[in-house]
Amino acid sequence: MTPEYCLEGRGLTVTFGDREVLTRVDFALRKGEIAVIDGPSGGGKSTLLRALATLQALTGGELMEGGAPASSSSPRDYRVRVAYVPQAPVMFPGTVADNVRAGPRLRGVLLDDPRVETLLVRGGLDGSFAARPAAELSGGEKQRVAIARALANEPRVLLFDEPTSALDPESARLVLELVGRLAADGCGVVVVTHTRAHAAALGGTHYVCEGGILRRREVA
Amino acid sequence: MSYVDIAPWRLLIVFALLGSALFVSWWAKLDLGKDLVVGAVRGAVQLLAVGYLLLVLFRNQRPEWVFLVLVVMLAVAAWTSARRVESGPGARILVPRALAAIVLGSAIALVPVFLFVVSPTPWFEARYVIPISGMIVANAMNVVAQVNERMFATAKAERAEIEQWLALGASPKQAVARHVRVALRAALIPTINGLLTVGLVALPGMMTGQIVSGTAPEHAIRYQIVIMYQLVIVAAVSGGTAAFLARRALFTKAEQLRQLG
Repeated sequence: MTPEYCLEGRGLTVTFGDREVLTRVDFALRKGEIAVIDGPSGGGKSTLLRALATLQALTGGELMEGGAPASSSSPRDYRVRVAYVPQAPVMFPGTVADNVRAGPRLRGVLLDDPRVETLLVRGGLDGSFAARPAAELSGGEKQRVAIARALANEPRVLLFDEPTSALDPESARLVLELVGRLAADGCGVVVVTHTRAHAAALGGTHYVCEGGILRRREVA
Repeated sequence: MSYVDIAPWRLLIVFALLGSALFVSWWAKLDLGKDLVVGAVRGAVQLLAVGYLLLVLFRNQRPEWVFLVLVVMLAVAAWTSARRVESGPGARILVPRALAAIVLGSAIALVPVFLFVVSPTPWFEARYVIPISGMIVANAMNVVAQVNERMFATAKAERAEIEQWLALGASPKQAVARHVRVALRAALIPTINGLLTVGLVALPGMMTGQIVSGTAPEHAIRYQIVIMYQLVIVAAVSGGTAAFLARRALFTKAEQLRQLG
């Protein structure tokens, strides 16, 4: 039986010191679904995304992935299946190709050049970027390399934190299209965004995260 | 062979010469005058105290006394190397780890040498055990302090990069591999540079001391070679252990980078 949800949080709670940043958040994502999370700064949306990526320790609640508790697989395996692209991705030393190969290489898999090029194209760049030093790219280009790098692990779920905030309108449009394609391919996608127009363009299920509480937002 | 004794009152002449350092401090407005004077007096008092302690130890050769001195030495070294780590997890976590790193490195550098190379009789003879151990433990202390400082500072500064690696499925070991390498290299370089320049830039303290007190240079040199290699061994083992333990302190069981400092 296929599980109903590819990613599910039940009562997710995160506290920093004595401050509760996330309060009993329930969240569920189906295969092929896009969830868009909006909300004010400091409202907890980035923390929620980091918690879903298991980079943030939970104070309470349970995280399920593919119908099983996240804790039942190793953090490494989980993070390969559930990719996280932060708001300001850091490029690793080396070329763009080195960056795209980084994930599989951790497990001893070396992606060949055509595969790297395919991933770059999926991320909205072209193959000519492969040999460029990653540190010299613009913010928008880095963002797209980070997306290609995340896709190299062939994740089932992708978590994007403000993927379009550093991008010019054309690049943002490409990323939004990519998100749509990923969902169409069966990935579950969570996008945190501030930009109303982008949120609307993404469609999917909309949430507001405010004061650590996640609510469904009905889109008119 | 005899050697020139320094009468206690002659120490005052050198102390007076420290006035030149005070002058530089005053002239360049370094505001180090007080530190200089306090440091000079404190250093002299500590050495005098140790001198008398050694005198007592030499006269009463008892293994438990030597052991006690070694324990104090290791404890002070561990405390010193762990307390000034700015972005670290605090002394309660760091001191035991620093102690473990210093003890392991010192044991590997010292025990075989006292058993098979220098081999004093009795084995606990303070005249050999205390000064040689002191040099080795001091190097361990410096290396461990540097490794800790760098590891925790880097983990704070490079948090985004480390988490990015974790997010791609890296193990904690893989996520900080580059930073561990940088920290360890930096901590080992002074000791290795010491190997490369020894005798060319400065004659090491122990050898100088032995030569001044009348030991033939060819004998003094053999001691120095032993010490030099011991310094490298302790730097590598204590530094490596400190890096390993720091890495473990950086991550939770669920392989999340801890929020420290």
